[in-house]
Amino acid sequence: MDRLAVKYLRPRKTPSTACSGCGLGQVHKKILLAIEQLGLGINDIVWGTGIGCSGRQTFNTWKGDNFAGTHGRVYALATGLRLALPEDKKIILTVGDGDAFGIGLSHLLHCARRNAGITVIVADNFGYQSTGGQYGYTTPQSRVTDSSPYGLTDPNWLQNGLDILNLLRDAGAGFLARHLSFEGQNAVESIKRAIGNKGFSLVHIIYPCVTHFGEISLKTGDREAIFRWFENLFDGRSGDPGTPAFKSGIFHDAVGARPEFSAALKAWTSSLRQKENPRA
Amino acid sequence: MNMAGSYAVNLDFEACKACGYCRLVCPRGVYREGPAFNRKGFKVPLVAEESLCTGCLRCFYVCPDFCLDITPSASGAVREKTL
Ligand code: SF4
Ligand code: SF4
Ligand code: SF4
Repeated sequence: MDRLAVKYLRPRKTPSTACSGCGLGQVHKKILLAIEQLGLGINDIVWGTGIGCSGRQTFNTWKGDNFAGTHGRVYALATGLRLALPEDKKIILTVGDGDAFGIGLSHLLHCARRNAGITVIVADNFGYQSTGGQYGYTTPQSRVTDSSPYGLTDPNWLQNGLDILNLLRDAGAGFLARHLSFEGQNAVESIKRAIGNKGFSLVHIIYPCVTHFGEISLKTGDREAIFRWFENLFDGRSGDPGTPAFKSGIFHDAVGARPEFSAALKAWTSSLRQKENPRA
Repeated sequence: MNMAGSYAVNLDFEACKACGYCRLVCPRGVYREGPAFNRKGFKVPLVAEESLCTGCLRCFYVCPDFCLDITPSASGAVREKTL
């Protein structure tokens, strides 16, 4: 184990059960680096998840408090937790694309609308990979998957003029960023800014599922070929107009522009109490 | 400036899953195909040229399995002088 794992992860859970070459550990590591660089400890963070590869491999490896919500409902659970916990306790959720951008999208948008003080890291592997590689809401257009053997006809959230981050910005999110799991310190900096934001933040990190997306959609198990395919998504070098093209970095930064949900609700409640019972 | 020879490359042999990303991204050719398998059956890369490491951390950022550490080595300065 490296020093980060020794410091923050439960030894029984490390190494994880993720496949060899799965990029999820790269996402996980960047979150731990951000936590370390912000000077935060085990007791400063409650780590939650929905379900799937991205949750299973991360939340319960954390040495501190952690929980698994139901699929797509973790945003509502975390909003309740936000109200119950002291302001300085950070809530970090590692969720997948299926959870955040599909099954739980409504809850996610309401979390952004309320500006609940939660950091959501969406570890996006382009589909439902823990169940065998079915397509989801970010699966690149036309790709063959386990559930689209003739190629995907459904539009996704990331191509043809759509971007899920636009929707989240319009819903009121204070901080949004996008990265590739292979990136270095620049991704860590975005996560630090997200965790530091008292309101709602989301960092979308795309990572390779080598086992299902690689084998079925890219038709290769070769780690280098998969690595290069993903790298090219961000450099705009894919040469294929049907392949999504991303820009890495901060997408939207309005940190502090709106009141945070739990702080505003607590202040309002105490002002009501004052009014109803001024001598209390 | 980062100097070759000032860093220790620590690879946790049993934790490695042999994805090969470290070999892929290292600009200095520090890693090579290893000769041995760990208990889980992964053929672990070999840290063949530790003295060439400049501490750029590229391998550290891409290792998905928390099994690489790059640390300034105590003997680095001495090694550098003997280059
Ligand atoms: S199935 Fe895919 S996403 Fe899940 S652990 Fe394996 S490589 Fe990672
Ligand atoms: S820190 Fe940089 S030079 Fe050193 S082994 Fe890793 S990638 Fe190679
Ligand atoms: S990147 Fe990590 S897990 Fe992959 S081969 Fe290198 S040391 Fe092993």
